[in-house]
Amino acid sequence: MNLKDSMDPRIEELLPFYALDALTDEERELVESYLTEHPEARAQINDLQSGASALPYGISPVEPPRHVKESLMARVNADAEAQVRARSTVQASRPSAPRRSWFENLFQVFSLGAAAIAIIWAIVLNAQVSRLQTEISGLHETLAKQGNTLEQILVNLPKSPSNVITVSLRGTNVEPSAHGQLIADPKEQSAVLIISGLPKLEANKTYQVWLISAGGPVSAGLLTVDENGQGVVVVTSDESISSFQSLGISIEPKGGSPQPTGDIVVLSDI
Amino acid sequence: MASEKNATDVSVRINSDDNLLHAPDETLVIQVARGNSTALEVLYDRYASTVLGISLKVIGDQALAEDVLQETFWRVWQSAGTYQSQRGPFTGWLFRIARNLSIDAYRRRNVRPQTISGAEGSDPILEETPDPDTNVADQAQSILKNRQIRKALAALPTVQRQVIEMAYFYGMTRQEIAEATGEALGTIHTRARLALQKLRGEFERDEFEG
Repeated sequence: MNLKDSMDPRIEELLPFYALDALTDEERELVESYLTEHPEARAQINDLQSGASALPYGISPVEPPRHVKESLMARVNADAEAQVRARSTVQASRPSAPRRSWFENLFQVFSLGAAAIAIIWAIVLNAQVSRLQTEISGLHETLAKQGNTLEQILVNLPKSPSNVITVSLRGTNVEPSAHGQLIADPKEQSAVLIISGLPKLEANKTYQVWLISAGGPVSAGLLTVDENGQGVVVVTSDESISSFQSLGISIEPKGGSPQPTGDIVVLSDI
Repeated sequence: MASEKNATDVSVRINSDDNLLHAPDETLVIQVARGNSTALEVLYDRYASTVLGISLKVIGDQALAEDVLQETFWRVWQSAGTYQSQRGPFTGWLFRIARNLSIDAYRRRNVRPQTISGAEGSDPILEETPDPDTNVADQAQSILKNRQIRKALAALPTVQRQVIEMAYFYGMTRQEIAEATGEALGTIHTRARLALQKLRGEFERDEFEG
């Protein structure tokens, strides 16, 4: 039994018109769906398309007037020159002042924002230190009475903005070009994550940040990167950052997952 | 020194342009995608008369057909990077652009098409007019190829040729063709299939001989 004998007759009658590109959208979808399921039918389509492709050669050529070519080439050359000009303008401006895309500008704004958060954080910590130092002064008198030293108390207090640490993050073998930084006060429950070198994902996927301890990974938020592969996010947790050993970023379905399910693109000790 | 450099540049360009004149279509499209307007010019010289022939057959109006001709090659200039040689020859892609633009132009302006005629050369056309800008060997081959296929089309029974021309050049669906010709849908299917099978044999023979 050959293919023609076994082919759905409804499809068979559509094939010549498929080859002639003269089917309705619905009919075309029907044929293409059939071809997907029956790739062996493609040989018949190819034969018919070969016949259809002869049709333009059957037309007697008509010599176009010269002005059509002149008009076309003037348009094309103007376009080509505009492209060359645009390229040379970019190159000329590059050494002194690199042109930034709005994504890069956005990233710069985010970076500045992250820096601002770190500064505000430092100010808040300073205020806390002042307040605690006041409390210490009060405690000093009490402790003196108890025979303890002030130094013993200070050991357990957040003393200065130097508590804010920066941790370098690296991409895994999946995304070796990924890199970034985590700015955190280990005692706090949130930190700022800056990342770059990650590809932009399809609309149905997202990056998800995980804080990992001996108890396993805990979601710390979703991360979106721009066209340049850069992104900033404030990661949060119910516990202090210091209670985690590592930070990871994985690719998850849109909306995130309860546990990592996709490729791990960043994994670093913190 | 500067004049020596200029002379060298001109010489390189002439040699380069000369290479383009003999380059295969697919090489030229790659060049066009890189912004080489000379490559586009070579393609235009090769196929503009066929494209205008297609457009004129569909639209039946010289001025509109010339607009479509220019638009077709403008699309090639802008979209050359999207052409995929593994999906078929450049001419198939080019003629499909021309055909689709022509059908759109015809429907938009509602200009009457030329009478659906035979392929015996009865159209008001400049058959086999030598183009001074085209390579003579290519020109001869193109003329022979076109002549052979026109002969094959002319050899088709008129009713079969009519069906495939209505579908291909005017974008008519099989139902529209059945209605226009007053024939049963099954008859239209059979005529289209037989016509394409006969043309395929001719086209393949032509490719082999070419």
